[in-house]
Amino acid sequence: MMEWAWLIPSLPAMAFAFMATLGRRMPNWTAVAATGSMGVSFALFFFVFADWFGAKSFPDPGTYTFIYSIDWLRAGDAVLTWGMWIDPITLVMLGLVTAAALGIQVYSWGYMAHEPRFTWFFAVHSLFAASMLALVMADNLLLLYIAWELVGICSYLLIGFFYDRRSAAEAAKKAFITTRVGDVGLLIGILLLFAQTGTFELSAIFAALEGGELSDAVVTGAAILMLMGAIGKSAQFPLHVWLPDAMEGPTPVSALVHSATMVVAGVYLVARLFPFFEASESAALLVMSLGAVTALGAAAMALVMTDIKRVLAYSTLTDLGFMMLALGAGSVTAGMFHLLLHGFAKAVLFLGAGSISHGSGQTDIRQMGGLRLRMPLTAVAFGVAALSLGGIPPFGGFFSKDEVTLAVFHGQFGWFFLGVALTVGFMKALYMGRVYFSVFLGRLKPGNEHAHESGWAMLLPMFAFALLGGLGGLLAFGYTDGYQGFGYFVFAGDHQEAFHLNWWIAAASTVLAVAGFGVAWMAYVTGSLSTETVIAKVRPVHALVVNKFYVDEAYQWAIDRVVLTLGNLIAFIDRAFVNDVGVNGPGVVTALSGAVMRKVQTGKLYNYALGMVLGFLAVAVAWWMAQ
Amino acid sequence: MELYHVELLSAALFALGVYGVLARRNAVMVLMAVELMLNAVTINAVAYAAFLDPGRLVGQVITVFVITVAAAEVGLAMAIILRLYRVRATANVDEADSMRG
Repeated sequence: MMEWAWLIPSLPAMAFAFMATLGRRMPNWTAVAATGSMGVSFALFFFVFADWFGAKSFPDPGTYTFIYSIDWLRAGDAVLTWGMWIDPITLVMLGLVTAAALGIQVYSWGYMAHEPRFTWFFAVHSLFAASMLALVMADNLLLLYIAWELVGICSYLLIGFFYDRRSAAEAAKKAFITTRVGDVGLLIGILLLFAQTGTFELSAIFAALEGGELSDAVVTGAAILMLMGAIGKSAQFPLHVWLPDAMEGPTPVSALVHSATMVVAGVYLVARLFPFFEASESAALLVMSLGAVTALGAAAMALVMTDIKRVLAYSTLTDLGFMMLALGAGSVTAGMFHLLLHGFAKAVLFLGAGSISHGSGQTDIRQMGGLRLRMPLTAVAFGVAALSLGGIPPFGGFFSKDEVTLAVFHGQFGWFFLGVALTVGFMKALYMGRVYFSVFLGRLKPGNEHAHESGWAMLLPMFAFALLGGLGGLLAFGYTDGYQGFGYFVFAGDHQEAFHLNWWIAAASTVLAVAGFGVAWMAYVTGSLSTETVIAKVRPVHALVVNKFYVDEAYQWAIDRVVLTLGNLIAFIDRAFVNDVGVNGPGVVTALSGAVMRKVQTGKLYNYALGMVLGFLAVAVAWWMAQ
Repeated sequence: MELYHVELLSAALFALGVYGVLARRNAVMVLMAVELMLNAVTINAVAYAAFLDPGRLVGQVITVFVITVAAAEVGLAMAIILRLYRVRATANVDEADSMRG
């Protein structure tokens, strides 16, 4: 069955081809083709999963990687291949992406029902999922890069779905260009590895790495260059600015981008290339530091944003930083576990946010309140996801957060990063509590009287994801010899881990999470803690955070002052020297010399004859002199 | 009579021809000057053959060829001059300057 795993990305890709070409003639079939192909892919995932377990020999705890590739083209000694690489990380991603894409497409039936460009939405949505699936299955870096860029272009198309709105068009451009900055690094990193090893294949590159064929400088350089790609796609500091603006896309797109595709691609890339970060301590430390900065900064911004989708966007940034922290600390297990559980929870939150704005027409959390009375089912699903991401046991997010915290504690500079992780854990609970309490609890605010619950197509995926996210923590434990917990499943090098609690850390993070929700309760439900008083005390900090640390302004300044100045200078050089002198110059010289030389052509016969005679005499004299 | 007498005659004829080509305006005159230059060359050929290599008649044979070709050339040139006269109503080479730059 695993040989047929290539069908998983191919089916949605074919659905895209069908919808993009024939979709307009058969509009009724578009959603069917999209969701049907996604459903078949989702089903195929289970077959592949079962087959993988069958192929792995137990009780060997080592990982098993299924590689299947065909030659694509030969150029000299280099052979380019297409192929699949199926290992536990791939399986986790395949499950998450197919499930999320399927659920979100079902949701979109309800949410996008009245959109005139319904067909195009589903077409690109399918391609988006297909490229992400191809990305996680690629067995060589070239294929991975192709899929990587396809993910980028799909996100551009979907974020700019409402392209007639200027802000959406700008956001799409911003997302594409910002991630492109990182992609350049990724491409250079891939080409660096190709130059050193002569192959794009992951297995050969890892073999070269283990065999010590790559120098330390190359390993660190390649790791950092490819990390740039991850920074761009996973919106880590300093390339995080595109993600909050990506909210301009339709909400199902945000849900897909934030849970399963696009932003987790960077985390996946680091996990996939983990041997490089294992081999280079400095690259790993860079991953950790960026993760820590991103998590802290984004958590602070999530606390002050007022647009519900923006709060969720910054919460995604926080969790991505968290995943990077875990990966940098050397734990693929913790990173992937958090990726999986965050994916499910974040899908619920975004679908819930879509449901809220669909039902109430509001996006500002200050205008909402008491929505539990009008949208009880959404309130339940949203609450489960909020508690999960807030890290309250026994919800899934608690387990993954705990894994991450523990991994961070065992990594480099353990105490420092443990402090960061615990602080972020508190802030996560605080902003989750803030969103939930101010949207669903309290009195129904004016303007929300006509809010209504969404239809089953939107509720069903939300509850499915809420269930997965809420109970996902169970995956951490072992049940059979074949499955001895997530840590054994995602085995990576020497970091094979059974799930174990460090009671002190677990207790501390739980207390902090409860405290976070408690503070949110006081501030947004009982009102015993006045937010105005708190803000007044830290006004400069508050201003800094509300303005998103002025990162956007800094970029704008850099673009206006530095890039445009440099661009104008180069444009001037181009106009003045390349164009006027280099290109027009020869033309002017030719025209001028022609204007002078044409006088020689008198058309008078005896002038030519005289020229001939003089020429002959000159040759004769020269010949005579030379004698 | 020595060889250099004939060479002087030939040189004088050639110089006359060059002068005619450069100085004359009438196309027929120019053509005649060209013929003078041709004849100077053939005299040279005959003279060298007769003085330096008597008996083999190479120069004389070449001269007969040159005269034949010159006759054909004159026919062609006269035809061109006639066409020029028909078109421009003049045989003056000064006025045939449509190739001027």
